Amino acid sequence: MTFSFPNGSSGLYLALAATLIVGFLAMFAMMSMPARWRRPVVATCTFLAGAIYVAYYLWPKPQAFGPRDIPQNFSESVGSYLADSVNVAGTISTALTTFLLGLGIYSLVRIHGRKLLRMQKDWGFSLVLLISMVAIVIFGYWSYWQTKFGPDAVKLQLSSNWTWVNYTNDFLFDGLLQQMESAMFSIIAFYILSAAYRAFRIRSVEATILLASALIMMLSLMGAVEFIWNSHLPATGFAANFQITEIARWIRDTLQTPGIRALDFGIGLGALAMGLRLWLSLERGGVSA
Amino acid sequence: MDTPQDPVARTAEEVQVFEAAKIEKKTHQTRMILFGLLILCSTIPLFLTLGVPNKPTQSTVDLYSTLMSVPDNSTVLLQTDWTLSTRGESGGEFEGLMRVLMRKNCKIALYSMSDAQAPQVAIDEIALLLNPERKAKGEREYKAWDDYISLGFFPNAEGETASMAANLRSAWTGKKAIDVQGQEEDVFQSPVLKNVQTIANVPLVVIITATNSFNVLIERLAGKVPVIALVTGVMGPESNVYYSSKQIQGLAIGMKGVYDLETMMEEGINSPGKDGKVAFEWPNHPPVAGFPGETNYGRGKLYFPTLHIDMTLMILAVIFGNVGMFMAKKRGNR
Repeated sequence: MTFSFPNGSSGLYLALAATLIVGFLAMFAMMSMPARWRRPVVATCTFLAGAIYVAYYLWPKPQAFGPRDIPQNFSESVGSYLADSVNVAGTISTALTTFLLGLGIYSLVRIHGRKLLRMQKDWGFSLVLLISMVAIVIFGYWSYWQTKFGPDAVKLQLSSNWTWVNYTNDFLFDGLLQQMESAMFSIIAFYILSAAYRAFRIRSVEATILLASALIMMLSLMGAVEFIWNSHLPATGFAANFQITEIARWIRDTLQTPGIRALDFGIGLGALAMGLRLWLSLERGGVSA
Repeated sequence: MDTPQDPVARTAEEVQVFEAAKIEKKTHQTRMILFGLLILCSTIPLFLTLGVPNKPTQSTVDLYSTLMSVPDNSTVLLQTDWTLSTRGESGGEFEGLMRVLMRKNCKIALYSMSDAQAPQVAIDEIALLLNPERKAKGEREYKAWDDYISLGFFPNAEGETASMAANLRSAWTGKKAIDVQGQEEDVFQSPVLKNVQTIANVPLVVIITATNSFNVLIERLAGKVPVIALVTGVMGPESNVYYSSKQIQGLAIGMKGVYDLETMMEEGINSPGKDGKVAFEWPNHPPVAGFPGETNYGRGKLYFPTLHIDMTLMILAVIFGNVGMFMAKKRGNR
């Protein structure tokens, strides 16, 4: 079931306003509700949302059933209804997750605003953070509005026609933020090198095996080494197994991948158990506490 | 760090402390030399164009074959979960992939499930790097709305990908983009998505990621549509699990993956070049054409020599570290 209104219509704005009011009322009702009633409400919502996904996963799916096809029998009707419900549940959960971004901004402003007002230690960093955040939000939305909805929107698609707002936004996003991310990440190279020098030591049999495997994997990634090593060995026959790429492949496919797969399997089982506990509201903490 | 100033130590304990401090000081100095070497070795090759021999791996050969099997003019979904923090690897992967898709006139719907900045980074790469490159060669520039659209960032990967698998049209209901007239329109009105009804109508889903966001995509979409992944070196081992179980059709890992892709773009697979010779042979594989003479090499060729030197440096660091440890042990025993 989807409600749709033409873009810019009064019906759309009315629906948006109504949704906002209902949302705030629901939030207010939940907050003013006694704790002993809140738990069953949350548990019911959680169970229903989870049940849609479980039912969708378990229910037989109609073959070659398009979004515009009409269900022919009970099985197809339920399958089609569940497919639609998954989308509604997905949209709601996406909207709810989006609130987390707002929550993050609120949390940042609260913590660093307080630090700034009380002139606590390193308040200068908080000031830089808040100024950067406000600047990128203002110029980001300003530039977005100009290029998407402004009177010269089509003209501004070409960077040669950009205004100072677009340039400032580009400077803040591509010129500063992205470059600083690159710089931060590149520092890891120094940590890795330092760790290789200080910590990668042959202290035990296990460490020696680890070191030998790492050495082979590193050498196999070096095309020049691979070329020199493999050129001394035949491409077929028993000796071909000693090509550096073959040894690396053996380590990866026979030792590394099964190890990771076993870990993934354990994590999957843990996630299943945790998911069941959350779905059935058996998990203590949060609302249950 | 404080070091004992008196060179003539009086007790055995003081001798031990003095020796340990000397070794620590030497280690610190060696580390600084290594850091200096790292800076030099990483930057100097960037100014040189060195052709390092390379043999693509099986997973990248499969990735290139799958990519080239996509019909021309079709729509490809691209989950772009990277930013410039991993531009060496992810940027090279994105550029190589886009060059192939653009040459096949494929339409691209891009979105991110991992980073809110990622769609803008991808759009900037198209607008500021790939389009000028095409324009300089007299080729058609890729235009937003007609050739590609950005669906933005979805913060709930699990819910959104499950919705995409169930009903793609419903999952992206209400998504708007600006058409060529500057009007806001439904994304399904665009030439990119107008013929797409379900996920099965898409010949390929591609993910470029610097995180493990491929997990959700593969869990929800693999089996319904062919998936290929281009990941960073760090995520390589984890993603290889999905490739070895054939849940994804191809995989490019890190800098080697980028150079592999670029090599195959230039040489093809079992494909004879202008001189009639096959430049890159792969046993029991049907011929797949490349794009000889085009702009195929980019970050892969540029950064691959640096990778060699840095790997060598790391091996040397491990050797020096262990030699230092053995020498310290030997002195301790004496």
